[in-house]
Amino acid sequence: MEEGRHANIRLDAVAATAPIECEVLVIGGGSTGVGVARDAAMRGLSTVLVERGDLATGTTGRFHGLLHSGGRYAVKDPQAARECIAENIVLRRIAADCIEDTGGLFVTTPIDDPGYADRFVAGCTDTGVPVEEIGVAEALRREPRLNRRITRALVVPDATIDAWKTVWTCARSAAEYGARILPYHEVTAVTRAGDQVTGVVARNQGGETVEIRAQVTVNASGAWAGLLAAMAGCRVQISPGKGIMLATNHRLVQTVVNRCDMPADGDILVPVRTVSVIGTTDTLVSDPDDWAVTRAEIDQMLQAGENLVPGFAGSRVLRLWGGVRPLFQDHAPQESRDVTRAHAVLDHRARDGVAGLLTITGGKFCTFRLMAQDAVDAVCAVLGTTRPCRTADEPLPDSEDRHYYVLGSRLAGRERTLLDEQVICECELVRRGRLTDEMARRPAPSLDDLRRAVRLGMGPCQGGFCMYRAAGILHQTKHLSAAEADRALLAFLEERWKGYYPLLHGDQLRQAWLDDWIFQGVLDAGHLPLRAPARRPDTETAQST
Amino acid sequence: MTGQPRTAAADVVVLGGGMAGLVAAVRLAEAGLRVVTVAKGHGSLRLSPATIDILGYGPGRVDSPAQALPGFAEAHPGHPYAVVSPAAVAMSVQWLKEHVDTYSYVGDPSANMLLPTAIGVPRPSAVAPETMAGGDVRTAGPMAIAGLGVFKDFHPALAAENLQAATAAYGRPVQARPVLLDLPSAGQPDFGAVGLARRFEDAAFRSQVAAELRAAVHGEETIGMPAVLGMDQARSAWTELQQATGRPVFEIPTAVPPSVPGMRLASALHARLRRAGGRFVLGAEAVGPQLSNGTLTGVRISSAARVAPRMCRWVVLATGGLASGGIEVEVSGAASERALGLPVHGPGPGDAGFLPGYWDDHPMETAGLRVDSRLRPVGPGGEPVYPNVYAAGAVIGGARPWREKSGDGISLSTGYLAADAILEEAG
Ligand SMILES: Cc1cc2nc3c(=O)[nH]c(=O)nc-3n(C[C@H](O)[C@H](O)[C@H](O)COP(=O)(O)OP(=O)(O)OC[C@H]3O[C@@H](n4cnc5c(N)ncnc54)[C@H](O)[C@@H]3O)c2cc1C
Ligand SMILES: Cc1cc2nc3c(=O)[nH]c(=O)nc-3n(C[C@H](O)[C@H](O)[C@H](O)COP(=O)(O)OP(=O)(O)OC[C@H]3O[C@@H](n4cnc5c(N)ncnc54)[C@H](O)[C@@H]3O)c2cc1C
Repeated sequence: MEEGRHANIRLDAVAATAPIECEVLVIGGGSTGVGVARDAAMRGLSTVLVERGDLATGTTGRFHGLLHSGGRYAVKDPQAARECIAENIVLRRIAADCIEDTGGLFVTTPIDDPGYADRFVAGCTDTGVPVEEIGVAEALRREPRLNRRITRALVVPDATIDAWKTVWTCARSAAEYGARILPYHEVTAVTRAGDQVTGVVARNQGGETVEIRAQVTVNASGAWAGLLAAMAGCRVQISPGKGIMLATNHRLVQTVVNRCDMPADGDILVPVRTVSVIGTTDTLVSDPDDWAVTRAEIDQMLQAGENLVPGFAGSRVLRLWGGVRPLFQDHAPQESRDVTRAHAVLDHRARDGVAGLLTITGGKFCTFRLMAQDAVDAVCAVLGTTRPCRTADEPLPDSEDRHYYVLGSRLAGRERTLLDEQVICECELVRRGRLTDEMARRPAPSLDDLRRAVRLGMGPCQGGFCMYRAAGILHQTKHLSAAEADRALLAFLEERWKGYYPLLHGDQLRQAWLDDWIFQGVLDAGHLPLRAPARRPDTETAQST
Repeated sequence: MTGQPRTAAADVVVLGGGMAGLVAAVRLAEAGLRVVTVAKGHGSLRLSPATIDILGYGPGRVDSPAQALPGFAEAHPGHPYAVVSPAAVAMSVQWLKEHVDTYSYVGDPSANMLLPTAIGVPRPSAVAPETMAGGDVRTAGPMAIAGLGVFKDFHPALAAENLQAATAAYGRPVQARPVLLDLPSAGQPDFGAVGLARRFEDAAFRSQVAAELRAAVHGEETIGMPAVLGMDQARSAWTELQQATGRPVFEIPTAVPPSVPGMRLASALHARLRRAGGRFVLGAEAVGPQLSNGTLTGVRISSAARVAPRMCRWVVLATGGLASGGIEVEVSGAASERALGLPVHGPGPGDAGFLPGYWDDHPMETAGLRVDSRLRPVGPGGEPVYPNVYAAGAVIGGARPWREKSGDGISLSTGYLAADAILEEAG
């Protein structure tokens, strides 16, 4: 269900003054890290998770949204395909509320190798991915906007999955099982006693440091895993593979549409809630924090979209973003797309002679549960205990009734409360109560955190109408002081700009202009009293006239 | 499809129904010319707070636009104010005050008021509706900022706290505190500014609000309220509220469109236009010039899936800027003018229109037409493209109006002057 029940967990933001002791410490609050924390807590281990930002702000919050059937890897990477289909089935069972069962299509477009479809069917059959061919006419009936020159269409059980919902419900479940989840805690050092890792030192938002002592530390920091391992004096070779995505302002297709060929750039169009997302690319970068997007990459995505859905390049593009894949390999990277999508658990005692540290890396979003299971099995081995994993059977909070999310859920929820409640974000139908509940659950929410948590401001107006409201409500309900509310608003505007300035044109530019009139013109947010002076050159000095 | 002219020729076709277009149309119609205004939509007038901001920042805060304009124009040669003289700005303001009679304006270009915004920033405006002027923090005493129940588009606590901090930084601290009135939702929890304004047209509702205000407000306080105090009868609703509370009351524009004060101003200007016999065609779009041997003899208008020329002697191009579609940016990054295909001064294809920082000065912001001293759009060589086409309002480039606080000042004065230029030629 969309507007779910929410266990009353509160996530800590403030550092304890005394060191925190635990059995298992997890570094990284992406899908892998929260998966590990939940699994460990469910097995009765005392668990702490630290994440430098908000949960799911690394690669997990920047992915394409696809619950893979395995089809994409059926020819090239059979092991990854097998893992995908196995976990696809598991996640449908335990995380139904996070999944929209869109189904998937692989279509042979005019630029694809016509012979690939047969190899694809063979690969799917070998790896256990259900596949069924349908006629072109039937495919076009299902997806009328598709390129009419496709020659083959194959149906697979792809779906879409909501990263934020999955991560947050996982974290809630972990907390219910006793784990402590600490967002906004950045690991600055890994502590060691001789050859034994004893925990970490982390810094919170207020700049205070907290020491966390653990018997086993699990490095689940994704594309940053090499950097974290280095803090412990260990070596992990990650090739960060950058990919970019663009979201258009409505659903151009209702099914996940893949080009039926070897994986390439811009070959998947994913319907994600109210928008469609085209992606992606794959380029090796040296720094996992580097996901800058070039104009050439944008044009490439628009072109690629045009091949799948003619007219795509003329549609209204809301936002763009990039993410960096944590691709693990033991030797020098060649081409990013050639690295396996399967995952690995590394025990640094065997690799580097350093005990008490495991790295879980590689993999995909949709295999996070399996990755967590393997990692916690290894943790148990280090701790000398055997405890069964139960994550494949126990549903996540809000998914107990095993109903998939459907696009109309919010509207249906809105109809139920039409006469009792306000809508704060019209684009995404976010109710006031949903917003204040989310605010109550977090110590000091930023507007960007709320955006991810309840999709506030994710629609066509990109927060133009709802962010003043949200800032006002946050202040009125005493979650933020006026100065903090102002800063939150300004930070939101700055963050949002990064997400769309390279592609502003047409109607989305008009929207951005309207928003600038609202924030800079009508509200004059550019002259809020408590702004950090560095932000803007032309401030304040009253002109003597 | 191009048909024959359907209607009798007009003297002037005004393209655009925003501030600039309406001002030009009213002036021309009142002077006895046959004027047809063709507007694709309503423009930004109904979305804007209806304050006439002439120059608020340049880039430092401006106390007197009249005194600051000459220096500003010199420092910004491509700016519309480099073409419009301070005297013309003053005349256009005077004209507006005389022409908006249902809804009075106060102030003039000699000094900026500092009027609180809905987030509590004192914003410089030279000319504003009388219902807002009482909020001027240069002179106001302690304030009670009154919120209306759970109205989602106005947050009095945030506004009051920011206002206090901001005025302290401006050197004249103003005491401001929030009060939240408890209004019955009338079975409708989700209402916007327009819905509230309609309720203020009801006497019983007004007296209920007044009673709540009397109970909540202290003797010496000025009352700030969201700008929803009535739609067509705003002036009497506002006067009545002041009488019933015994306190000065001022309105604060709300941020989320549509804007109640903007709708009031639009309806006042439309009433003037009707009275003067001007025609207004809504939902029709200019798609190109009608040419005869290189001379512009009319405008090609698309309406109801049909394109037909509308013949005229003069055109006022007031189609707005990037916000209203008068200027459009294509995927390539090139900006173009949509109604007559005039050359746009701004970043070309492949140029960086936008910089990475939100507060940077983005080259695209100033994209628009360049005009000569008579407001005729010019080509790259500085020559007018058509001798009988005049531009007014945000379609003219060179300004950053939301930062400068100059939007309606530019539109009003250029609309006024475009009409002037035509009246001069018409003799
Ligand atoms: C463009 C793109 C598209 C993708 N699409 C899909 C898809 O459709 N389907 C799919 O299944 N998979 C997809 N993936 C893969 C998937 O997103 C990732 O494999 C997965 O999200 C990785 O999760 P993670 O938890 O390992 O890493 P992350 O989500 O990156 O988590 C690591 C966390 O560690 C934190 N961290 C880093 N340093 C520190 C520190 N010093 N202290 C504390 N915390 C720290 C980071 O902030 C980060 O949040 C895609 C990947 C990319 C790049
Ligand atoms: C939310 C908002 C807040 C604002 N706040 C302020 C403020 O606080 N202070 C201030 O001074 N200014 C403010 N403004 C700016 C101001 O209201 C106007 O932007 C400015 O005065 C421009 O007016 P205009 O008449 O040139 O154009 P617009 O008002 O934009 O009108 C353009 C008109 O042209 C029409 N049109 C466009 N293309 C065509 C075509 N091809 N054929 C026919 N018709 C066409 C449009 O439909 C519209 O009717 C605000 C604007 C907005 C949107």
